[in-house]
Amino acid sequence: MSNKDDKTEAEEIDCIEAINGLYQYLDGEMDDAETKQRFEHHLAHCKTCYTRTEMEKLLTQRARDAGNKKASQALRERLQRVLD
Amino acid sequence: MADEETKSWFSERIDEYADPLYGYSFQLTRNRTDAEDLVADAVSKAWSGVESLKDRRKFRSWIFRILHNCYVSNYRKKSVRPVEVSQNVAFDEITDDLTNFLTEQSDEFLAWWGTPEREFANKVLGEDILEAIEGLPDEFKGAVVLVTVEGLSYNEAAEVLEISSGTVHSRMKRGRMLLQKALWIHATEAGLITETPPKEMHNEQ
Ligand SMILES: [Zn+2]
Repeated sequence: MSNKDDKTEAEEIDCIEAINGLYQYLDGEMDDAETKQRFEHHLAHCKTCYTRTEMEKLLTQRARDAGNKKASQALRERLQRVLD
Repeated sequence: MADEETKSWFSERIDEYADPLYGYSFQLTRNRTDAEDLVADAVSKAWSGVESLKDRRKFRSWIFRILHNCYVSNYRKKSVRPVEVSQNVAFDEITDDLTNFLTEQSDEFLAWWGTPEREFANKVLGEDILEAIEGLPDEFKGAVVLVTVEGLSYNEAAEVLEISSGTVHSRMKRGRMLLQKALWIHATEAGLITETPPKEMHNEQ
């Protein structure tokens, strides 16, 4: 049973590895379940990486909200005229 | 000439994507008139080449690519902003690791970067982030805008930028790090960061 713990220990990643995977994780691009598990395990044990991840998440959300622009009605009409 | 079915399908897609196309365009040009002209040019190009879109499910990356290429060939030149010299290396050949980037940075930036404060994100306005993204070198700007602001997947962004999705990933890493640095400079100048953590004597976390 301690075997399982040893295995987890061996699979731990350090902060540099975590930072290297951070954006892939945030962008929903970390497809490999094991990689994701290792990353989340690191976050659960490392306050710095956890806080950095949360901060980057907030920045992403804020950028997305601010970048969510509306096309004017005039532009929409102009675009439809292209088809004529 | 495209048939009626194609025409009504295209018309609906343009209506559906008008906002994100304008959003991407605005982020590239940072100017309403240019942004609207760019979208109109791109839509016009897309419509005249609609037969080249073989797989309609790829409409989004296809039309973003057309818009991106229009920007690169017709709009970027107009920019008065001096071309930013980032780093004199071919980025895609850089080792896929941030260690190199970190070793090049100042102690002040690293001290701040090493002690992240979630509250910092609350102090920075969305527009400040967009402005900082706007100032990124073009290679990174495209990927960061498409993925971070527009929410495209790495694969879609890769299709738009005509690069591999692995390259999108490395550009995201480096681009977002450069963004952090730009925000740090902005925040320092705006007085949002009042004190740099002491770094000489204490090296513990
Ligand atoms: Zn860590």
